[in-house]
Amino acid sequence: MKKLLALVLALTMGLTLAACGGKSDSDVKYVKDKGTLVVGMTDFAPMDYRDGNGEWIGFDADMAKAFAESLGVTAEFIEITWDSKAMELETKAIDVVWNGMTLTDEVKSLMGVSEPYCKNAQVVVLSADLAGQYMSADAIGSLTFAVENGSAGMKALDGLNIPYTAVDTQAKALMEVAAGSTDACVIDLLMAGAMIGPGTSYPQLATAAELESEEYGVGFRKDSDLVKAFNDFWKSAYDEGTVLSTAQTYGIAQNIIEK
Amino acid sequence: MVSFWSVTASLATGLITTGKLFFLTLVFALPLGLIICFGSMSRFPPLRGLVKTAVWIVRGSPLMLQILIVYYGPGLLLGLPLLPRFTAALVTFVINYACYFSEIYRGGIQSIPRGQYEAGQVLGMRRSQIFFRVTLLQLVKRIVPPMGNEMITLVKDTALVRVISVYEIIWMGESFIRKGMMWPLFYTAVFYLAVNGLLTLLLGWFEKKLSYFK
Repeated sequence: MKKLLALVLALTMGLTLAACGGKSDSDVKYVKDKGTLVVGMTDFAPMDYRDGNGEWIGFDADMAKAFAESLGVTAEFIEITWDSKAMELETKAIDVVWNGMTLTDEVKSLMGVSEPYCKNAQVVVLSADLAGQYMSADAIGSLTFAVENGSAGMKALDGLNIPYTAVDTQAKALMEVAAGSTDACVIDLLMAGAMIGPGTSYPQLATAAELESEEYGVGFRKDSDLVKAFNDFWKSAYDEGTVLSTAQTYGIAQNIIEK
Repeated sequence: MVSFWSVTASLATGLITTGKLFFLTLVFALPLGLIICFGSMSRFPPLRGLVKTAVWIVRGSPLMLQILIVYYGPGLLLGLPLLPRFTAALVTFVINYACYFSEIYRGGIQSIPRGQYEAGQVLGMRRSQIFFRVTLLQLVKRIVPPMGNEMITLVKDTALVRVISVYEIIWMGESFIRKGMMWPLFYTAVFYLAVNGLLTLLLGWFEKKLSYFK
């Protein structure tokens, strides 16, 4: 029993020491030593989605691969639960959140964020035959809403004092509208472009009022030197034209922020 | 029809994760439960108190919270490297289910008439001999129905591990919602029903096999 106790204590101490030893000040060094840049994302076309072979592609995925390459490491993609993104970063389960992330005050307080690289807007989506009547933010007060919990769309509705039902993804918010349980939802313009209207799964839905414009950024651990490494990488990739050509591939060139 | 089969294939990969979690949880939690059960019936009060408190904490707090604590806890509180996602999920399930199982074992053991222990003692058997030669066979028979209940609950509880991004069936089903398909999420129910149907048949068969005292 005493031996067992001694063993357990020794193990705990060893682990604690190992943890202290592993804590280097440089996140860039940590990632390089490890050889992989672990990217936390969700399935979110056109930023991150799988091609026919199950490979992750999309504007964010392609740029993440290029960024990893610039560090001399390989990018590894992990689909995360979006609500846990800050915890995933802090515990080193992932190294970066790169998934069309809106730079809200909350995100900025929880992570070290890059300079914004992409513009977007929060937009009201509802049945196409009603869309014409709700083209301004003043007109939408009478509708019932579904919106992704914690999203920029939810903040926009909060700002307008409009009640809503919070659901866990933007896609579920769309599903609520399609199923008729709410009149409208607020999602971002990029997603709306890819998911609603003729030729998509929701041909009966259309966009109406634009509530708020926003910017996308990439999230790292607080005070991480990866932020600077990213900003430098992005500037040179923009100058080389890689950013715009990749954006064109995925049809979002108009959303890219000029550097 | 193509999409039906590709959805089925995708959910089947989730089913493999769910199945692995289910089987490994049983493999480790069934014996661990017995050990915890002995602890909670120990004649040494401090040990008994400790085990009962642990069982109270594990049974009294939400499993989802326990999963989050086991996975993120070491990194958040101590700055330690994390366990792999599946391992963290498995560890949580084994501890959680072992606590529930321990109470089922205890119920089973205490339902064996006192007279049998006394008879064993009169015959000069040791406590361990009484347990393995007299109690155990009757115990197994009595705990099959409540264990079956727990196992069926376990199959469905595996859905909780998606909070730490372990890709089980419900996660796979939900991921289709992003592609504008709602039915795969509801279709996952078919998989749970099939697994639990099979499990029910298996438990029924096992119970029949155990009618050795009739």
